[in-house]
Amino acid sequence: MDRRTVLKGLAGAGGLALTGFAAPAIAQGAAARTLRFVPQANLANFDPIWGTQYVVRNAAAMVWDTLYGIDDQFVPQRQMVESEEVSSDGLTWTFKLRPGLKFHDGEPVLAKDVVASLTRWSARDPMGLMLKAIQSELVAVDDKTFKWVLKQPYPKMLFALGKGNAPCAFIMPERLAQTDPFKQIAEYVGSGPFKFAKSEWVPGAKAVFEKFTDYVPRQEKPVWLAGGKQVLMDRVEWVIMPDPATAAAALQNGEVDWWENPITDLVPVLKGNKNIGVDIGDPLGNVGSFRMNHLHAPFNNVKARQAILMALSQEDYMRALVGDDNSLWKPLPGFFTPDTPLYTEAGGDILKGKRDFAAAKKLLEEAGYKGEPITCVVAQDQPITKAFGDVTADLLKKLGMNVDFVATDWGTVGARRAQKTPPSQGGWHVFHTWHAGADCINPAAYTALRANGDKAWFGWPTSEPVEKEITNWFAAKSLDEEKAVAARINKAAIDDVVFAPTGFFLGYTAWRKNVAGVTKGPIPLFWGVSKTA
Amino acid sequence: MLAYALRRVLSTLPVMAFVALFVFSLLYIAPGDPAVVIAGDQASPADVERIRANLGLDQPFLVQFGSWVWRLLHFDLGTSIFTNLPVASMIAQRLEPTLSLMMVTLLLTIIVAVPLGVIAAWKAGTWIDRIIMAFAVFGFSVPVFVVGYILAYVFALKFDWLPVQGYTPLSQGVWPWLQNLILPAVALGCVYIALIARITRAAMLEVLQQDYIRTARAKGLGQGGILFIHALKNAAVPIVTVVGIGIALLIGGAVVTESVFAIPGLGRLTIDAILRRDYPVIQGIVLLFSFVYVLVNLLIDITYTLVDPRIRY
Repeated sequence: MDRRTVLKGLAGAGGLALTGFAAPAIAQGAAARTLRFVPQANLANFDPIWGTQYVVRNAAAMVWDTLYGIDDQFVPQRQMVESEEVSSDGLTWTFKLRPGLKFHDGEPVLAKDVVASLTRWSARDPMGLMLKAIQSELVAVDDKTFKWVLKQPYPKMLFALGKGNAPCAFIMPERLAQTDPFKQIAEYVGSGPFKFAKSEWVPGAKAVFEKFTDYVPRQEKPVWLAGGKQVLMDRVEWVIMPDPATAAAALQNGEVDWWENPITDLVPVLKGNKNIGVDIGDPLGNVGSFRMNHLHAPFNNVKARQAILMALSQEDYMRALVGDDNSLWKPLPGFFTPDTPLYTEAGGDILKGKRDFAAAKKLLEEAGYKGEPITCVVAQDQPITKAFGDVTADLLKKLGMNVDFVATDWGTVGARRAQKTPPSQGGWHVFHTWHAGADCINPAAYTALRANGDKAWFGWPTSEPVEKEITNWFAAKSLDEEKAVAARINKAAIDDVVFAPTGFFLGYTAWRKNVAGVTKGPIPLFWGVSKTA
Repeated sequence: MLAYALRRVLSTLPVMAFVALFVFSLLYIAPGDPAVVIAGDQASPADVERIRANLGLDQPFLVQFGSWVWRLLHFDLGTSIFTNLPVASMIAQRLEPTLSLMMVTLLLTIIVAVPLGVIAAWKAGTWIDRIIMAFAVFGFSVPVFVVGYILAYVFALKFDWLPVQGYTPLSQGVWPWLQNLILPAVALGCVYIALIARITRAAMLEVLQQDYIRTARAKGLGQGGILFIHALKNAAVPIVTVVGIGIALLIGGAVVTESVFAIPGLGRLTIDAILRRDYPVIQGIVLLFSFVYVLVNLLIDITYTLVDPRIRY
């Protein structure tokens, strides 16, 4: 009997016992003004420019505001900005801040703060780095106005400033933003709708956010990271729970109010409890990834990579992850997030239909594979990568490959995947990961899709057509143009097998029904959320 | 005795130094790089190198070790790579929950295990003995997390008597503090109770066969007096030893128990730090645990002299 089986069984029993049995343990009064939230991971650090984990970004979005915010149509809307103006040659962008912006220490938000913040952000963010490379100057014109002058037009400017991909262009006080972007800030002062209670922070256990009463929300309806961020709770407490069964029990017991990402095994239990609401959390989901090392044989040969695409069954990967719940996954014969404007299946036929092992084996032979060990590095402490790794080991064996299955932890995978040395000398052939669907809606934050050799993501793929089309996307001025470019990127990335997508999958979120206003979004959104006793 | 205790405390210094060097070396050669974790997926190798340089991780082994020892000599455990908080304050923050859990578990264990062991020895070979020993085998065989889930289901979910998770500091009242500790202490205590009950039984059985026990019986002393005054005191040395050794088990068990019951203690901090390769935190915790082990051993040795006057140092 393993731990997962036990927790599933007991949590299930708990769910049955609790049907119709409401017993909130939290007292009335102050507790009713406190939302207790179980995040996806521990908030281990809190500098959203220095550390780029999703959980840091999610917490930072409560504390720091951005100049723009994307809405559910992926359109950047004004947030801290009142107006913007771009010169006719597209080179000079002039922004004016909206009135009433104040930091949590009571100081007004000034243009100099924005300039310092954007300077720090642009040293770490891929889009920021692009902007920095073509920047003439970034200066404060007066207290409320700043100007960004470029050497060449950058049509994606507003998306860069409003995107939700880490690191986001969060605005900090100048004194914090002047910190070396490769060092952590020591204060957590923002101008967002929540203040971070540093004195109550217990990394690994608890993080507390208090309503910032001086925050002036926009008047528009809130949609994702855009619009009016109306805070209806006095406090939001993040309770870190490493054990899913405990989180499930605490939610059923009323000790917590909202669990960001319940594991699939426990969802039926939560669904069976009439006091708990369950729904898809992030509609943009995730893109599974089977990453091959393009530097070493056999995967330095495109035929070997194509053999993998020809043989892999995305359904196998997805079933290993989500079980029988068909609403949680989709086949993905491409790279972009399904149901988003740039989604395309152009060139994706190789991932569709019956899997052809005979043809795949033939391709492997043509690639010169002769039974050498294939080092598959798998993080066992991540359920997603563990599931993917098991399926891959089976797949490679069926293809007649000699699998060297290296079961380890994510910390080791993180370091090992950066090794360019041959697998026999500490390098690797295959590792698995997944990308948040929000990062895959377009090439802006889609680092994993880049194919610029040594500068590309782990695996270091080289594909001139992919790179050329990504450059074209950044220059594209209309959605139609972007879609056409995306189709060409998709085809080129499949032809050269930048990486192998293992499918698109979604995750649930669960909350107690006395909590109102939980909405779907690429990150947990706490504005508009309220709770009754 | 005082001189002995002082000598023992001083003798811990080379042990601690060796542990420090060993742990530092182990972490240095272990795979994994905190800079990679921090830099995230978007970072270039140059970014990772810059972070490593800022953290001092690019320095040679001896330089890193030397600077760590230098800080230690100044009572500075360093700063967490990830949280940017002092390691000493992170440990201090987590000390109370773990100590509370260990204390309540230890107390519960002694209260339950010693009488059980005594009774089992007294009733050796009977159904009472067999039931107690069966319980001991069960307690020893079932993993802590399984017991934890069962307890949480019954007492938290089904009856709503106790909370599922969390920790309330003692400063907020004894009952709120205890409320959060009962279930984890019982879960963690099961193994420990089983161990001590078995050792107590074995030690008592040996003592109960001694001549002076027969004499005490012949003199008409009551069963309680024989068991708890004459026999238990003479069986105490192995029991005290196993209680001390059990503290090591408690520290190990606390890691799982703290996860299952979401208690923000040192066990969870250790696991988090190891998974993230937060070297200063790992080193700080290992040093603390080593010191605790040495101290517990010293206390056990001193306790021997109290329970058995024949032992002298």
